[in-house]
Amino acid sequence: MSTKKMLFSLLLIGVLAFSIVASGCIGGQQTTTSASTQTTTKTTTTTTTKIQEQVTLKVIGPWSGKELDAFMKVIKAFEAQHPNIKVEYKTYRAEDLATILPLQFESKDTPADVIAMWGWFITKMGEKGHLMTFNNVINPDEYIPGVLDAVTANGKIYGVPFTAAAKPGFWYRKSFFKKYGLKPPQTWDEFVALLAKIKKIPGIKAPIVSGDSVGWPLSDITEHFILTFGGAQMQLGLISGKIKWEDPQVKAIFEQRLVPLLKAGYFSEPVEWTSAVTAWWKGDYALYFMGTWITGMVDDPNDLGLISLPGCKAMVLAPDYFMVPKYTAHPKEAMELAKFLATEGQRIHVGTNSGKLATWKKVTIDDYWPPMKDVAKIVSNVQAVPDLDDSVGGEWQKTFWDQLKLLWVQPDRLDDVLKTLDEKFPKK
Amino acid sequence: MRKPRSLTPLFFLLPALVLMVPFVIYPVLKTIYFSFFLNGKFVGLDNYRHVLLSSDIINLERFPTKSPPWGSLINNIIFIAIHLPSTIFLGLGLALLLRKEEVKGSSLIKSIVFLGMVIPMIVGGLITRFLFEQGAGVIPSVLGALGIKSLDITWTAFPQTALFAVILGSIWIWTGFSMLMYSAGLASIPKDYYEAALIDGANKFQIFKNVTWPLLKPITIVVVAMTLLWDLKIFDIVYVATGGGPGGASMVLALQMWDYFARELNYNYAAVVAVLLTTLTLIPAMWLIRRRE
Repeated sequence: MSTKKMLFSLLLIGVLAFSIVASGCIGGQQTTTSASTQTTTKTTTTTTTKIQEQVTLKVIGPWSGKELDAFMKVIKAFEAQHPNIKVEYKTYRAEDLATILPLQFESKDTPADVIAMWGWFITKMGEKGHLMTFNNVINPDEYIPGVLDAVTANGKIYGVPFTAAAKPGFWYRKSFFKKYGLKPPQTWDEFVALLAKIKKIPGIKAPIVSGDSVGWPLSDITEHFILTFGGAQMQLGLISGKIKWEDPQVKAIFEQRLVPLLKAGYFSEPVEWTSAVTAWWKGDYALYFMGTWITGMVDDPNDLGLISLPGCKAMVLAPDYFMVPKYTAHPKEAMELAKFLATEGQRIHVGTNSGKLATWKKVTIDDYWPPMKDVAKIVSNVQAVPDLDDSVGGEWQKTFWDQLKLLWVQPDRLDDVLKTLDEKFPKK
Repeated sequence: MRKPRSLTPLFFLLPALVLMVPFVIYPVLKTIYFSFFLNGKFVGLDNYRHVLLSSDIINLERFPTKSPPWGSLINNIIFIAIHLPSTIFLGLGLALLLRKEEVKGSSLIKSIVFLGMVIPMIVGGLITRFLFEQGAGVIPSVLGALGIKSLDITWTAFPQTALFAVILGSIWIWTGFSMLMYSAGLASIPKDYYEAALIDGANKFQIFKNVTWPLLKPITIVVVAMTLLWDLKIFDIVYVATGGGPGGASMVLALQMWDYFARELNYNYAAVVAVLLTTLTLIPAMWLIRRRE
């Protein structure tokens, strides 16, 4: 019996020892920070020997369908210029990446070499030491003012901007307006009168369809109202937290402009945003607030008209950003691709039906896809400001989307909504 | 004189221990450890105080007099209060109605009811979302046709109805499990008991009350415990159908933990909710184990 006990004790000690070692490995990977430098050095050395070999880069982005087709044209152009580099693309939503990447980065790993992600997230990961910097790769002066702010911290540029979507206003079908004798408004009163007129059209479910997804379509509409009636400074103040949501001037925009429209039933209930495109295009709704990418989602972009709220002098410009994790096996090639996407890749992308605008100033109007040339001209005449919720990010972004969904169906809860937005705003 | 215990069973536990210690026990302990830290500093119970006093968890300003949000813990309790009895009685009712010897095609009907359990939860959430969508979903359309215009809306878009949409969707998914368990339980009851009761002159209700229900007690214990665990850790359906909104009206604890973790990147608060959730789920789990023993 004593032999059995001894044998069992030995086995138990063995199991515990293995467990501790295994746990130690897991814990060690999570907490050790000094190892990252060594890892980078090693991978760089390996790459130097492989430079002439065929390299496959993995790229992650949010695009699929027609948007992906447009992006792949950029990738093809890069591959043509770099015969030794092959690019594999995977689609991931930013919401999903936000849960995957922090864990992978903590364990010194990455699911791809070049990754498209929110600006605030890139900065946060950069500050944690997970990303390559681009200070010596791109020239900040070649970009439209402010576009690098979202990916810059303490003078370090952690991401590169790709093309941007503008969120210029309410889109309508010219043929629809012609059929019912409608005209784009020149004043706020005309805008409200137009909505009242549209509401009376038989078969119309609501004058404006409200796009729904995780929430961003409603925040885009709200930001357009803020920019029109509060100006770019108010938007920037709200982003920095210097202006509160319960500030009387901010509240007035909701009370006097947005809420009356919601109460009058001029906005639909939130409808899944891609389904909303179809419903709007077939005439269930007359207006749809959406970014410029909608030009690539409709059957006939030449039938598209655009109504910005009268008096709007600023417009949200929301760039897509790319980052290169330190843990890439091919840092040189990955940086090369990121640089291409931030420069000549933009020229190619705006020439497709992506509906995007360049953030690199060397792209000219002539480079644009014809239906986007007018939009590009309009955008160049107004002040471009960053997207509000994308700039703040984090838990607050979700709160913002969620509270707007609440406001949309219960406009009387305005006070609660604004109070919550202030309460949840990140403390500096 | 006490007979020495055999060590043989412990040897059989070793392979499981090898996996359990590093991949379950260690992470659990580490999560508990994380819950007492914030930004790398030990903060005692401050994280627990912050999370439990947050209106995201219990919103006493609004509960119960005003419309939601009421907080994720309260939502979980409401979820249990409606979902648990509904799935038990629906499952039992269906199992009784669809006994093989009494209904033709009962297997097919049972398979259809069980379908909710077979599909991935994410798909279940999507179906729930569309079931309650105005214009596209069956529920608002039927209610509208019955003249209840106030419910002919997109349930997931309104704070008063969002949580109930998720609960009803979850009842649809989980009833299959309850029905299957009770069907198995009913099949195990000997027919002699029913024949004896009939000879004694018992009516159907008396037979159910005095024969069927007591003999199904072990099954009921399992169904109650499993449903409680399901209700406490509910995540997928809410995540897809409503995202916890609008305005946090359908937020539940597991999703709150996810938000702290994935959106706020605050692993310490997420660890607090994880510890609370684990503690809550341990209660029915231990109750189940003891009753089974």
